[in-house]
Amino acid sequence: MNASQSAPKAGPFTTIRRDVASVALLLRPRILSARNRVRQLQPRGRVGLAALGGLALFLWAAIFALFQRVLGFLLQVEEFGPTLTYKLLGMVLVGFFSVLLFSNLISSLSTFYLSSDLDRLRSAPVRAGTFFYARLTETAAESSWMVMLFAVPAFLSFGVSHAAGPSYYLLTAITLLPFITIPAALGIIVATLLVTVLPARRTRDVLFVLGVIAAAVVYLLLRLLQPERLLSPEGAGGFAGFLADMRAPASMYLPSTWAAEVIHPSSGNSTADVAFYWVLLALTAVLATVLCEAVVRRLHLVGWSKAQEGRRPNGAGMARWERGVRRLTRPLALPTQMLIIKEIKLFARDSAQWSQLILLLSLIVVYVYNFSVLPLAGGPLVTFYFRNAIAFMNLALAAFVTAAVAVRFVFPSISLEGRAFWIVKSAPIDLRRLWWAKFGVALAPLLVLGEALVLTTNSFLGVLPVMQWLSGATMFGLSFGMVALGLCLGATYPRFHVENAAKISAGAGGILFMILCMLLIGVVVLLEAWPVYAIFSYRLEELTMPLATKLGIALSLGAAGALCIAAFVVASRFGIDRLRTLQP
Amino acid sequence: MIELVRLHKRYGQTDAVADLSLEVEAGEVFGFLGPNGAGKTTTIRMMMGLLQATSGHIRLGGYDIESNPGDAKQLCGFVPDRPHVYEKLSAREFLEFVAGLYQVPRIEAGERCDELLALFDLTERADELMESFSHGMKQRAVLAAALVHAPKILVLDEPMVGMDPRGARLLKATFRQLASNGVCIFLSTHSLDVAEETCDRIGVIHRGRLAAIGTLAELRNAAGGDATSSLESVFLRLTGDSAVACKGDEASE
Repeated sequence: MNASQSAPKAGPFTTIRRDVASVALLLRPRILSARNRVRQLQPRGRVGLAALGGLALFLWAAIFALFQRVLGFLLQVEEFGPTLTYKLLGMVLVGFFSVLLFSNLISSLSTFYLSSDLDRLRSAPVRAGTFFYARLTETAAESSWMVMLFAVPAFLSFGVSHAAGPSYYLLTAITLLPFITIPAALGIIVATLLVTVLPARRTRDVLFVLGVIAAAVVYLLLRLLQPERLLSPEGAGGFAGFLADMRAPASMYLPSTWAAEVIHPSSGNSTADVAFYWVLLALTAVLATVLCEAVVRRLHLVGWSKAQEGRRPNGAGMARWERGVRRLTRPLALPTQMLIIKEIKLFARDSAQWSQLILLLSLIVVYVYNFSVLPLAGGPLVTFYFRNAIAFMNLALAAFVTAAVAVRFVFPSISLEGRAFWIVKSAPIDLRRLWWAKFGVALAPLLVLGEALVLTTNSFLGVLPVMQWLSGATMFGLSFGMVALGLCLGATYPRFHVENAAKISAGAGGILFMILCMLLIGVVVLLEAWPVYAIFSYRLEELTMPLATKLGIALSLGAAGALCIAAFVVASRFGIDRLRTLQP
Repeated sequence: MIELVRLHKRYGQTDAVADLSLEVEAGEVFGFLGPNGAGKTTTIRMMMGLLQATSGHIRLGGYDIESNPGDAKQLCGFVPDRPHVYEKLSAREFLEFVAGLYQVPRIEAGERCDELLALFDLTERADELMESFSHGMKQRAVLAAALVHAPKILVLDEPMVGMDPRGARLLKATFRQLASNGVCIFLSTHSLDVAEETCDRIGVIHRGRLAAIGTLAELRNAAGGDATSSLESVFLRLTGDSAVACKGDEASE
């Protein structure tokens, strides 16, 4: 009798428990690493962590308050208040779903095909299913935690404003699990297919295709929702048509619609309807997971093998862009020139870094698109103030988008020197050169992006030239401040051993950078608010501005400019000092 | 060329390096030996300005690494214990980049890169990204980069790890060649064969302190062994494992 015959047959629960334990074992290194990082924090770091926790709570409270205000306002609208809140919930869920989908696409490339621990896992006797579920969990967690963190106050607010009972909170909790699983499974399937089909180590091409798909999905979701209808009821063929239009679900094929049907507190759905949509969501999640597992089991080794093959950069000789950069930087010292060229090359060749551009480009497309469909032609709301007030908000929003780009690309810049930092550190150069090389390489595209964002959207709005100039100048100043802040905090909170740029910015330093940027943007915008109001008032009423007002405007705008300069100078000084003392 | 004076490095309650003083002359190959965790890498990282010493001085070519790091580093080529490189650069790009950091004029840098790529057998794959290189190939690329500006001092931390026999032989020959041209080589190694074959003098570090320093003959005397004792048994005696050293001696007899 052999061992297998003599061993008692394991029951289904024993098998499941064993499988869960195996998956947990594979996830353990990540969990333990995170725990140890927190444990090893010095008292200063613990204080920083507590402060960040406090700020996160503040942000939660702010999101909750914002939703309370918006939902309160919508619910006051007679007849179709609940319909509007249903529509808003649909939009929130579609937004979450699309972000989750992109995020999972990008993360799964790293977790399934580029991560450095794949060697160890694939060479160990780990079952294919265990490997898949561990990586699925990791991908979903990595991609979803931030979205879910900010979703909690939004969902809480829906419950509170609709005076929902405990069943709402329970339904929301059990709906989110399948809601997160579906984009994770879909993201992994698409990434696997692309890695398998395209030639060796062509993550660049893979990501390009992903980018195109992502942009298409964003466009599709946006068109399905037609958010501009919320603003222009007159376009929907009268009140009755508008109401009917609004009550129609965005698309019955979208999991976000099913989720909205389950959790909307005043949807009027019967228990059977709610159960139907939840089962539909859960079954789709299960089906997507099973399909995903089958695809990964069949194709992972092929795709991963291709991902390991080496490649040559395009052309062995010097590229045209490199010759251009060399010519442009000729007045600089040779080490600075070489550092600039190195920065550009590493960025262009690191798919983990530039792939994030796809996400951001999608966001920017949505941002600019929203401005292009604002109901500005006619309508009672469209006034001189409306256009220019929106333009002013647009300035703050565009600056925020630029900060979001900076946290992904500028903040990780120092950490990305990584384990190769010894090369520059042991070279006979002042690290100030490295700082300015990184600063220049980061500032140029960020400045172009910020200015393009604000000037394009302002031109859609048709604002006054003075507002265009002010927006352009403010974005110019803020870009200098934000890039210096990003590098400074990157040098203060370096993560040399983290290989993925997206993970670097997810740390405490990245969050602190975003908070400081928001503060900087907020104070600068506040300082400019009164001058803008004064300029518009005098312009509208065609009055001559008194000298005292002119002086006040100059002082206020001067203070905003001085703040940007101060942020740039202080952050640069502190950052260079920090860079010099860093020990790789 | 290299002067370490009462060098000390403390991590919390632990002395990683304590009261370490030594000098290495131009044209000399100096082997720095010690068991794992003895303080070799810490010493080397302090020498290259990658780690700040708790106390003591390091002078390279007469320049203090703390007060005059630029001049001190300009004289040195460095190979760390693990060849971490910019994975997304090709070997040629990497060498050109390092040459730029050391202000080697561009034309001279190009010629020098070609020479070194050929010397370290990397010409064929010079334009491939280093992410696809094996450990040994990366090690060769880092060695080539350390020599790109023709340094007067070469500091190497375990340069033989991951090298195939051909590469190791090439490296030993290169060390001797460089030393005969007046380059000062400071080399930490676990390979006692390498130390025995290439080093003019050897320093043995144990628990952060210099246990012995001198030529192989001087070390044999210091360890109380006879003229035929291998470096291995001398090393084991000096680092406190005399029982293992005696067994080794008996076995070899």
